[in-house]
Amino acid sequence: MKDGVLREEAQERVREIGHADIVVGIPSYNNAGTIGHVVETVRMGLARYYPLAKSVIVNADGASTDGTPDLAAPAAAGGTADAPGRPGIRAISTPYQGIPGKGSAVRTILELACDVGASACAVVDADLRSITPEWVGLLIGPVTDSGFDYVAPLYRRHKYDGTITNSVIYPLTRALYGKCVRQPIGGDFGFSGRLARFYLSKRDVWESSVARFGIDVWVTTTAIAEGFRVCQSFLGSKIHDFKDPGVHLATMLYQVVGAAFDLMETYAGVWKRACRSESVQTFGVVRETPIEPVAVNVPGMMERFRLGAQELADLWETILGREIVSFLKKLASLGEKDFFLPDDLWTEIIYRSAVSAHRKVINKEHLLKSLATLYIGRTASFVIETRRDDAAAVEEKIERLCLAFEEKKPFLVKSWEQDKEVSPCTT
Amino acid sequence: MHDIGEGMMEMGGVFYRRLIEFLPNFFVALVLFLVGLAIARLLGFIVLRTFKAVNVDRFWESAGIREVLARGGVRRPVSVELARLVSWLTVLVFAVIALNALHIPVIDTVLARFFLYLPNVFAALLILLAGLVLGNFFSRAVLITLVNSGVREAGLLARAARVAIFVFAVTMALEQLDIGKISVLIAFAIIFGGVVLALALAFGVAARPYIREYLSKRIEEGKGEGDDHIEPL
Repeated sequence: MKDGVLREEAQERVREIGHADIVVGIPSYNNAGTIGHVVETVRMGLARYYPLAKSVIVNADGASTDGTPDLAAPAAAGGTADAPGRPGIRAISTPYQGIPGKGSAVRTILELACDVGASACAVVDADLRSITPEWVGLLIGPVTDSGFDYVAPLYRRHKYDGTITNSVIYPLTRALYGKCVRQPIGGDFGFSGRLARFYLSKRDVWESSVARFGIDVWVTTTAIAEGFRVCQSFLGSKIHDFKDPGVHLATMLYQVVGAAFDLMETYAGVWKRACRSESVQTFGVVRETPIEPVAVNVPGMMERFRLGAQELADLWETILGREIVSFLKKLASLGEKDFFLPDDLWTEIIYRSAVSAHRKVINKEHLLKSLATLYIGRTASFVIETRRDDAAAVEEKIERLCLAFEEKKPFLVKSWEQDKEVSPCTT
Repeated sequence: MHDIGEGMMEMGGVFYRRLIEFLPNFFVALVLFLVGLAIARLLGFIVLRTFKAVNVDRFWESAGIREVLARGGVRRPVSVELARLVSWLTVLVFAVIALNALHIPVIDTVLARFFLYLPNVFAALLILLAGLVLGNFFSRAVLITLVNSGVREAGLLARAARVAIFVFAVTMALEQLDIGKISVLIAFAIIFGGVVLALALAFGVAARPYIREYLSKRIEEGKGEGDDHIEPL
């Protein structure tokens, strides 16, 4: 276990367990309210779908102060081999080491999965309230039964949920790598032992954004770009605790989009070759499931965008060019009725940002964080545009945005390869 | 008349001898200066090519220096300006060597002092440059953070951060140059201390009702009123 991140007691536990077929990891940080339910549900799922397999539930905790690990252990303990009528489900709860963040927790889970020689694994978030035992079967089944290496989640979500996914990561990943994985940063995913070993072999990423919120886009993109077999499973609604309000949106945006831009550097040779997108196999029955309402404060969002346009216009001009910024300034002066940021322009904004990050026009953290208010403006525009739309109509609009990303890809490829200024905007 | 004539002849002879002694030094100095001009031109060319090859302009641009210099009227690429600086420094060095070759005692003394002082000038220039780079970087970081936090005075505070860092750098540079060392330090301490005290008084006394209002508003917001509950990921 050289260069590993597992603590001594976790290594001891791994030696006790020896071999396991399935590992389900649960990264946690202050999830006392939900961790018991999540662990219990995973245990039920393993018992129902893999009664004969030797399984391990791993809780990798980020030094929670609310007693999360203490609640995780008893919930998992109900499934040990000693309990009558229960299959051999073992549990390990260990604090992870490294940069605080989900990525470091996933690294611990990967290492543990590789050490016990698991052939199939899954990771589920600890803050889930809508998880059911079926999730275990749906995330691991495609690996054990159909030979897939990576299983992305597919959820039914509120039309305004997952805005970074819908407006940046999904269209970008799809246009770049040519696979229609609808939730590339869903948070819950399944993967094969082979892919776990491959992820773990990438030793240079764990000190970057990947150690934090960037982990989800990294696992999905790496699987696609490296040619592993990728599919998605419909899990129903994703209802979970609201993210820690202390985590600033700009930081989240920086880590997720920054990781996506870093991956563009790593896989430039791959995404430049991918021409059009194709759907991936979907497991599970896509159906209507209940979702929770979402509160939206459009005037507040527009106000934030206006402040950004007023104070960051010069900086935006360095990244996006004069024409786009002049449009954005005009947009900032409009009322709610006319406030609209078109798909074409948004696509160009993302592509120009990627190119500016590639050319190191300004410090990358500054670049991405300066786009936070712009992203809020786009979200406000999307909310206004889709106010009266149902879920299907909203999905159609997201599809239209994806097509805009695909159509403008030649512009991205050309700009990426040019060593001079990005050509003037045509929008 | 005879004495005057003789005196004039003697003076002329002395002048002639000195001129004869001086002329070789002068020609050596002239040649050195001309060689210096040629070398300066060559060095400027090499430096420009090297800076272009390693893309130094992009670095300056990403550090925000280009923008600051442009605001100060320097519109040419930084690589060109740096090449010119190297070129002029070379000219200066050769001019000094040429002057030294003249073997004039007064000039020798002035040059010795000049050479002893030169490192201070370079150190001061470096301090100013660092102040410029850091001021710009932190000002941008402050601006972005405050805008993302919804602070309306973000621009003003960011500019204040830049000015504070630059003033600090100027103070350090003047100290390095040994110009008004004590008075500059005292002035800086008075201004800095005065600003901090003024802010403390403003926050503590004058702005108390506004701060109370601001904090209660933030606490109310924290309770969820008017907040978004959009999950971004």
